[in-house]
Amino acid sequence: MRARDNPFRSERVLSLRYRLGGSWDALLVRFERLGRRAAIVGPHGSGKTTLLEDLAPRLGAAGFTPRTLRLDTETPRFEPAFLDGFFASLGPRDIILFDGAEQLGALAWHRFERRSRAAAGLLVTTHRPGRLPTLVETSTTPELLESLVAQILGDPAPELRPMMPALYERHRGNLRDALRELYDWYAAVQVETT
Amino acid sequence: MSSLSLQLADARTKYRPGERVEGVAFWELPELPRSLEVRLYWRTQGKGTVDLEIVRSVTFEGVALNDRRPFSFDLPTGPYSVSGKLVSIVWGVELVAEPGGKADNVEITISPTGEEVRLDRGEKS
Repeated sequence: MRARDNPFRSERVLSLRYRLGGSWDALLVRFERLGRRAAIVGPHGSGKTTLLEDLAPRLGAAGFTPRTLRLDTETPRFEPAFLDGFFASLGPRDIILFDGAEQLGALAWHRFERRSRAAAGLLVTTHRPGRLPTLVETSTTPELLESLVAQILGDPAPELRPMMPALYERHRGNLRDALRELYDWYAAVQVETT
Repeated sequence: MSSLSLQLADARTKYRPGERVEGVAFWELPELPRSLEVRLYWRTQGKGTVDLEIVRSVTFEGVALNDRRPFSFDLPTGPYSVSGKLVSIVWGVELVAEPGGKADNVEITISPTGEEVRLDRGEKS
């Protein structure tokens, strides 16, 4: 199968949005009550980044300016000059959305957190609680995986359904990795149609 | 009523490197956009990060709400339109109005034969 035809190609997976248990308004109220300084906490592949992305336009609609930062294992630290420029440019209605806060060591986090107080808010994602009060704990279930697969395929996938529990377990609930395995499955077994 | 459309000359979608793409952009908009642009781009699709490069662009000046404009691009020599199991390179021409991002898009192929190079089945078609 051509990569462009694979139903689990990254643009399709990235189009999946976070499925919030409650209402977005309630979440924003909770963020406000936490002083607009909070964390989205959860394991790999549980939707932290997606939730952060989905909150950005809602914060924008509430009159704030989302300012995004991201660290990951490939880019685990900020260049000092970049951060200096970033903090110098912060406005009073800016909210920092920082994906991957666990990449910062304790001292670097302490400095970052202190400098971020010039902003209207700070929302981070992290794998473990403790850096800021927890706004949301993200988690997954085999049923969620199955539902996302059905959404991508546009229809329940009877041939895939029996695979779901084992797939979920194999990736320890990491839905991103589970969906990548499905990409490989389609790339390998689908009959050529074009 | 709001619409944007692209038509390539002779509805052609298969090209060889270095050839010229010609077409017409036309639109009917309720208000004038800040910019109206036709772009020639390629992007990747597949398992990894999506990469995108805008290779050529034409910005239309002095447009009317209901208007049509011809455009043309000389195609580069590469990369070719190609598909493997892990990644595809897909070429296209798009008409974009900003702000709002209203757009129309036509995919094209660029290769020595005009057909997409297929690596997913170990041969070129």
